[in-house]
Amino acid sequence: MNGEPIIRLRRLAKSYYRETLEIPVLQGIDLDIPAGGYYALMGPSGSGKTTLLNLIAGIDRPSAGELDVCGFALNGLDDDELAAWRSAYVGFIFQNYNLVPVLTAFENVELPLLLTPMGRRERRERVVEAMERVNLMDRMENYPRQLSGGQEQRVAVARAIVSNPELLVADEPTGALDAKNAEEIMALLEGLNRDLGKTIVMVTHDPKAAHHARHQIHLEKGVLDRTVEVNR
Amino acid sequence: MKFLHLILRSFFRSKRRTVLTILSITVSVALIAILQSVLATLDGFANNPDASNRIVVRHKVSITNMLPMRYEDWIRQQPEVEAVMGLQWFQGVYIDRRNFFPNFASEAEYVTAIFKEEIVDYSDAQYRDFLRDRNGCIVGKALADKFGWKIGDVISLQSEIFPITVRLTVRCIFRSKRPADEMGLHFNYKLLEEGVFYMKGRTGNFFVRVRHPDDVPKLIERIDRHFRDAVEPTFSETENAFQLEFLKMMGNYTTIIQMITGAVLVAILIVTANTMAMAIRERTIEISVFRAMGFRTGQILLLLMGEGVLLSILGGVFGLGLAWAMAGAIRNVAGTFLPYLQNFTIDFGTMALCFQATLGVGVLSTFIPAYRATRRPIVDGLRSL
Ligand SMILES: Nc1ncnc2c1ncn2[C@@H]1O[C@H](COP(=O)(O)OP(=O)(O)OP(=O)(O)O)[C@@H](O)[C@H]1O
Ligand SMILES: [Mg+2]
Repeated sequence: MNGEPIIRLRRLAKSYYRETLEIPVLQGIDLDIPAGGYYALMGPSGSGKTTLLNLIAGIDRPSAGELDVCGFALNGLDDDELAAWRSAYVGFIFQNYNLVPVLTAFENVELPLLLTPMGRRERRERVVEAMERVNLMDRMENYPRQLSGGQEQRVAVARAIVSNPELLVADEPTGALDAKNAEEIMALLEGLNRDLGKTIVMVTHDPKAAHHARHQIHLEKGVLDRTVEVNR
Repeated sequence: MKFLHLILRSFFRSKRRTVLTILSITVSVALIAILQSVLATLDGFANNPDASNRIVVRHKVSITNMLPMRYEDWIRQQPEVEAVMGLQWFQGVYIDRRNFFPNFASEAEYVTAIFKEEIVDYSDAQYRDFLRDRNGCIVGKALADKFGWKIGDVISLQSEIFPITVRLTVRCIFRSKRPADEMGLHFNYKLLEEGVFYMKGRTGNFFVRVRHPDDVPKLIERIDRHFRDAVEPTFSETENAFQLEFLKMMGNYTTIIQMITGAVLVAILIVTANTMAMAIRERTIEISVFRAMGFRTGQILLLLMGEGVLLSILGGVFGLGLAWAMAGAIRNVAGTFLPYLQNFTIDFGTMALCFQATLGVGVLSTFIPAYRATRRPIVDGLRSL
């Protein structure tokens, strides 16, 4: 770990409103995550894990408090700036893979690169590199429906890392997978953290998955309960 | 441009829906293009540049009242006038009503002088034969070809206005610049005067040829002023205005055609809007994923609108192609009922207009669901399972 906090949350709060009724989801979150960290976000259903992850990833806005991620105060960015920031700094991995069904694995992985000024050849090199990383070189021309769940999630991981973002966010990445495939994805993420120094924040229910992280953050009813280091 | 690929892939996501939508746009656009071309063709009759120095004089009361033939003597004396001719719409039926073509009882000796632009090419010998034969007629080449008439053939026309049938001998066949101008028949006015007692010395119209188009307005004014206090006052107008009035007797077709066009455009709007709304709704999560990855609002709009525009471009092109393919058939079939449609074409201006309207509808119908998709919070979209 390099030590510098890449994620810095101060008194972060988020409420939803149903008509005039305020529903607090997150309250007074203070959290520092150093660059190169691998954190598992845990807690009971409805405790606000996804909400917190979305705030960190810049796809949702807090009701109060400050958040600095990858050197940017996200509150100060407008929607388009935030979009540009996400494309530069954040890779997303979802529980349901969320690949585009009408695009091949190759084209799915290429998507984030379409937002960069890269030429076709450079994009191809990057995609191939990412596909090698997830060990799916022989599946590049397949469509998502021609892949197994585990393979789909590996394509999704390739898509998340292809533009070389500093931060990876994953919301229950193994939630839809069987134990063997889950183990494979966990090994992949661990490698990305260890070899490439990616900072990873992962929401998970699965204690086995959480065990792959270096730290576990526990949320309870929208409040940070405790952070523990994982002993290995 | 790298987005074009994405647009195309999404475009064929649901092939059947895409094809059906394109088909319905195709049919609608073809309908609009044909209707608008009918309008343009009819308007062409009322904007005939060849008629710019012709005046039509009729009875002030209505198009069906008759004027004394002697009025033409005074008109002929006006210095601006090159030629005057009495002409009566005869509405003769040749064998069957469906064989409709315009036919007139005209003062034979002036026909070529008045219709110089239409009766362009003919043999002097044939024309002399026509003048000599009281039962003769002069017909356009296209008309003669249509019924296989040759010089010397006898044809009979039963009028729907007058209680007579005339038996005419084809004496002269003329050629025009446009085939549509070759569909007329003129026969000797004297035949009508002799056959119908109340037409003696009377005619429905005078066609007046003015030496210079600039003189048309003041001559119109002078003719009507001169006959203002006569028992049978006149109403004069340009031939184009007269044609328009004649066309209007078929009903206010402009309004009807524009109303149908409007209704069809609305139908296209609804079909496209529905298809795009469905296409966008079922992709809520995907759109949110794109946005999470960093696609900006404008880029998402571009991707989604691209599909709607593509739908309307394809529907528009196919529709215009269909209309174009049908133009010949319309000319042949509708032209026999409605002689005005004998030179029916789908001109470039009409095509451009229809295409623009279709494109406009495509943009409009996609913009609303696309814009809504970009307004929706990303996290909502991701949660919508
Ligand atoms: N758009 C919204 N409007 C209203 N309430 C919401 C909205 N999104 C989330 N919530 C509420 O916020 C709370 C936290 O939701 P969140 O999805 O962050 O929980 P979670 O910890 O990820 O749960 P799970 O483990 O089931 O995924 C829940 O009570 C949820 O109902
Ligand atoms: Mg959740």
